[in-house]
This record gives sequence, C-alpha cells and structure tokens, in this order.
Amino acid sequence: MKQRTIIIFVVLITLLSMSFLSAQGEAEAQVKAEPVSIDFWTTETQSDRMATIQVLIDTFSALNPDISINLVPVDENDLSTQAQTAAAAGTLPAIFEAPAETAVSFGTQGIVDLSATRALADSIGVDRFYSGPLKVLQTTDKSGYYALPYHGWIQGIWYRADWFEEAGLAPPNTWENVLKAARYFHRPQDNQYGILVGTKPEAYSEQCFTPIAMSNDAALFDSEGTLIFNSPEMKDAVQFYAELAKYNPPGPQNWRGRDYYMQGRMAMFFYSTYIMDDLALAEVAAGSLTGENFSDLGGTDFDPQLVENTRLAPIMTNKSPAGYGTVVSLGMFNQSSPAERSAAQKFLEYLYTQNAYITFLHMAPGGMNPMLKEIASNSRFQNDPNGIFKNYGAEKMAEIIDGLEDIRTFSIVDGVRIEAASEITAQQIIPQMLYKITQENMKVDAAMAWAEREMNKLID
Amino acid sequence: MSRFTHSSDGAAAAIKETAVQKLSTRAQRDERLGWSLVAPSVFIILALILYPVLYNIYLSFFDVSLSEGNTFSGLANHQEILRDSEFWKSLSTTMIYVIFTTAGTTLAGLGTAIVMNKKFPLRGLIRSLILLPYVAPVISVVFAWQFIFDPVNGIFMDIFYDRLHLFSERFSLIGSPSTAVWIAILFAIWKNFPFTYLMILSRLQAIDENLYEAAEIDGANGWQKFRHITLPEVYFVVNAIILLRVIWNFNKFEEVYLLTSNVKVLSVYTYLKAFTGTMDLGQGATLAVLQFFILIGFILFYVKKVLKW
Repeated sequence: MKQRTIIIFVVLITLLSMSFLSAQGEAEAQVKAEPVSIDFWTTETQSDRMATIQVLIDTFSALNPDISINLVPVDENDLSTQAQTAAAAGTLPAIFEAPAETAVSFGTQGIVDLSATRALADSIGVDRFYSGPLKVLQTTDKSGYYALPYHGWIQGIWYRADWFEEAGLAPPNTWENVLKAARYFHRPQDNQYGILVGTKPEAYSEQCFTPIAMSNDAALFDSEGTLIFNSPEMKDAVQFYAELAKYNPPGPQNWRGRDYYMQGRMAMFFYSTYIMDDLALAEVAAGSLTGENFSDLGGTDFDPQLVENTRLAPIMTNKSPAGYGTVVSLGMFNQSSPAERSAAQKFLEYLYTQNAYITFLHMAPGGMNPMLKEIASNSRFQNDPNGIFKNYGAEKMAEIIDGLEDIRTFSIVDGVRIEAASEITAQQIIPQMLYKITQENMKVDAAMAWAEREMNKLID
Repeated sequence: MSRFTHSSDGAAAAIKETAVQKLSTRAQRDERLGWSLVAPSVFIILALILYPVLYNIYLSFFDVSLSEGNTFSGLANHQEILRDSEFWKSLSTTMIYVIFTTAGTTLAGLGTAIVMNKKFPLRGLIRSLILLPYVAPVISVVFAWQFIFDPVNGIFMDIFYDRLHLFSERFSLIGSPSTAVWIAILFAIWKNFPFTYLMILSRLQAIDENLYEAAEIDGANGWQKFRHITLPEVYFVVNAIILLRVIWNFNKFEEVYLLTSNVKVLSVYTYLKAFTGTMDLGQGATLAVLQFFILIGFILFYVKKVLKW
C-alpha cells in the first residue's frame, strides 16, 4: 500500500516536472522566433468565404508557426470609414483587401506602406501581372503601387435572351436599346420589371452608373485634374440613369434586387460575373428564390433553363463604347514594427503562390478572376469544383478574363491618375446623388450641384 | 456633596466630549469608507459618461479631421447646422417619430394591461406571449418586417394588392422616404409596447379591490371607475414611462436605421453626417450636442410640470 502511494507520487512528480520543462522549452522557442500577430481586413464577409480564407491562413500558420493572422471581415461600404478611424486610433491592420479605387484613396491619405508593396511586387514579379489592372494601382509618379491586384470582375447587363428574341429586340448594348427594352418589359401589373439599376446610396449604384457616364464621354476630371463633373455630358447621363430607374422594381434597390431576375420577374440587370454560379447552380440560387424558402407564398423555383437563356452585354455604347469592372487588391498599411511588416509581406507572397491563389479564386468561379497571367491558363484553375467553367465553356471564361485588361475608371484620364476621383468614389458621393434624385425626387440640377459641392470639399 | 456632584458633572462632560470625539472620528471614518466604496463607480461614471459628453461639446467647436488634426472654428459648426434645412427636416421627423411612438406604445400598453388584468383562461400564457416582440433581437425582426413589406415578394403586397386589390400599383412602403417613417413608427410601437404593458400591469395589480367595490356601491359605471380610480392610480407610472420612452426614442438609432435607413431622425442624420460621405465629425459632434440640450430641456420641463417632482 505504502509502496503504491510512493510510486504514484513519483510518477506525478515526474509528469509535473516534464510538463513544466516542456512549457519552459516552448516559451524559450517562442522567445527565439518572436511571434507576431497581424490583422487582415477582408471584404469577403460571407461566412463560407471567410472559412476558405481561414483554411489558407491555417495552412500558412502551420508553415510559419511564429506568425498568427487574425481575419477581420469589413463590409466594402464601410472600408473608408473604418480605415480613417483606425488610422486616427493607430490600430490599422497590417493587410487589407480592397477595391482598387479604395486602395488608391488609402494611398493618397498616406497610410499605405509603399516600400513594402514595392518590395512585394518585385518579389512576385511585375511582368507576371496583367498590365491593365496593375496600372490602375500605380502611384502618380509611376515609381510604385498602392496595392497589388489580386482578383477582378467585369460587369455588364445580364439579360433574358429568350425574351429579347421573342420580342424582336436588339441586345442591350446601346442607350437606345436598353431604354427601349426596359420600357417594353416593364409590366408592374404582372409583377414584372424592366431593369435593375442601383438606387440606394451604396457602391453598387456607382458601379451601374459609371459605364453609362463613360459611354457618354462624361468624366469627373480632365487630365489636368480640374473637376469637370457638372458638364452637359454628365447631366445627360444622370438624366438617362434616372429614366432607367423608373423601370426598376418599386423602392430603392441595391444588388440584392437581382433576386427578382432569378425569380423570372425581370428582363435585365447590371451585375458582375459573380452572378455566374447563381445562374447555373440550384443550391447557390436557393437563397434568391421565394419558392425554396416560402412554400405558401406562390413563389418561384430554380429555373434550370435560366443559364442558357441569359446573356451578358459587357459593353455599353452611346458616344463611345465603355466597359466596367473592378480590380480588388491586396495591400499593406503602415506598421510600426518591422516584424509585422515582414510577416504581412510573407503572407501576401504566400497568397500569390499557385495553390493558395487558386483555392482563393475558386470561392467564386467567374466572379474572382486571376490577375497573374499564368493562373488564367492553369488547368487546375479551369477545373473548378462547381463546374462553372465547364458550364460556360473555357472560351467564354477566357473572354471575361481578357476583358479585365480594358477596365476603365473615372480615376484614370488619358493615362493620368487622378487621386481625387478615387476619393470621390470611396466616399460614395455619386450614389448619394442618385438616391436623392430617384428616391427623394430632388431635381437633377440641384442634386448635381449638391454633389459638386461635396466633391469640392474632398478636393480642398 | 456638591463638590462631588460638580466633579461628577465635569467627568460626565469629559466622557461626553470623548464620546463626541469618538463619534465624529467614527463618522469621519464611515464617511471615508463610504467614499472609498463609491469611488470606483464615481470614477467609471466620470470616465465613461461625463468625459465623452464634455469631449463631445469640446469637439463641436472644432473642424475635426482624423488625419490632419483639429482646427478651432468657434461657433461655425453651430451656425452651419442651424442654417441647414436637412437639420430642421430631421428634427421634425424626430418629433413625429417620438410623438407617435410614445403615444402609440403608451395607449397600446395601457389597453393591453387593462385587458390582461381581467381573469380569463390561458391568461398566463398570453401574458408572456405578448412580451415576445420586446425580447426578440432587433435584427431578426427587422429582416422579417423588411420581407413583409418587400414590394415584389412580400406578404403585405400579396394580401392588399393581389388579393384585395386595395392599391392600384405595387410600391415599397419601407423604401419610399415619405411612407417609411410610418412603418418605422409602427415597428417601434409593436416592438416596445410590451414594456409599457408590463409596467402598467404590475401597478394595476396593486390597486386595492375595495376601491372598486366602494365605487360600485356608490353607483359608479365602468368608465367612471376607470376615470376616477384606475387612471389616478396609474398616473405616475404612465408618466414616468412616457418620460423614459421619449428619452429612449429621441435617441433611437438601431431600430430606425436597420429597418429603413432612409428615415433621417436626428441620431441617424448625425451618423450619416459624421461617418459617411465627406465625414464631417465636427458637425456630427455639434448635432449630438444640440440633441443633448433639446432632450435635457424637455426632461426638465416634463419633470417640473407633469410629474411635479
């Protein structure tokens, strides 16, 4: 009995001392490797996308046990506000994911780490990028980049080709064709609507408006950097947009209105290539369909023909042709500690490696398109788990990706970068103006004068 | 004897004196203890309530820039706000919102409480079911309401347009700025009347039944009993709740903004001014200060004139 007690005692002591020693060992190892913890702001706020990014982070952390990365979701519409307040509080994250315009506006505020970004670009290799998207992120003096392009989408009008054919209407690729079709298909008494354009004061509205303004040769600035927003071309575009908004479903709308198209209640809608999986896959579309969610409401179910009956008109023409798309970039905010800076750079380098990159892009096949040329032609990339590439065909997908080379924005005029334009986009002045006109019945002239005043406040 | 008495008097006085001394030191000690006990709370109140209020007032005199620091601008913010027609519009929206939601929650709460004070089967169950809107999380009921009023798929349009043909066209009640405020008011009444109901019910249950019996013997009818017994008995509870409701709804942000986002009551307007678009934090602070003083003015008036404290 006594012996047994002694044995148990000895075993316990040994175990305790071992765990103590190993804890000490761990502590020593940690001291040697100097663990860093950095934040990563992502605009992919949906839980399934965050889970995918977390897998990438976990893989990276397994390879680099001394670096821990904290994923923070930030709504795209809140990015500017969040960054400004974080900058004032000194709590900027090490890494951000942001639309190119927003990244440029961060750059002009002086909160982006330009030298680290330059080093990152060099280590990845500038030549491997598509040049168009990279140009959007270049600094004014062309010596560096505010952030690096990571993925991108193009936008256009998606439309019911079968309805258009039956009605004998031309594809919605000019102002005239769009308006004619919107009028023709707008039958509110049958709960059917002509078109969806954004009318809420959110980023989506500007995304719909930009190609319309650009196709009318309207610009925010001339190449000298003078604000020329209040021009006859811009006024025409605003009026045309307000006219289109009359054929919207009732009430202020944002991208969520695309659900009505999925339900077969709308003829056209502005949207990015992100819609491709919703059109093709029943389980993705389920969230948009009343029939799936409210069986008592006499709603609609998934239409397997919709993907074949839907076409994309990516270019809008009036005075000149204009396409629109957005480059989403990864960048680094200024950090005080060099360890955090190098950890951020290391993680971003990892995200550009082939496996990590393709995993990331496969979160939204069609929506997220690569910015490195070699990834676009990579067979693993073209074989996405949901079969979107197969559904649409590699050729159509290549066309979409090529479209990214010709992205036009308000912030590049004749090859000159106008930073103030990015600031105006980031602060959503134009969406607010469109909301005032379409929802608060403000006169176009008054609303444009208001917008011009706000823009001048930003420029000063 | 007298000498003895005298000396004993002196001793008594001395004892009394030391007792007083002891008492006063004990009182002092108690006071010190008291202060040290409340000190953490006082500190927290100063740090978390008084400091932000004062700092906000301070900020209202500045042109605030997060990146370039603040520049003193005197009363410029205040003047600009008072000249801003949007401010007056949002003030009147706030008034409409506060008046109708307060009246609505109070009347609905009072009516429900009176009904629920009567005996009927399953009363316990129904009493607790009524609390449901009040305890449900705002965000989940907001989504439900938004779906109800969705112009294309919502139940409201399904019933009133498709089935009853009451309207000539579909429209978005929650999206159009002119009607959205009324939906926000309806929502606030539905969400908050259970609180009023609960408070009034607990007061009703404390009213002495003898009062009603005596009134019946005197030949009072139902209305007279309500007017002369029930109302005076619940007067202070109702008025205290009205005061609280005005304070709460005057500052209400989340219910309004999450549900409609285009009903610009003062708190929403302050948020939009301070944190969106050109982000004018100085004017945002000024708006908050004005809102604060309007509310303080109302509270002082109400406490003096209505509650007569």
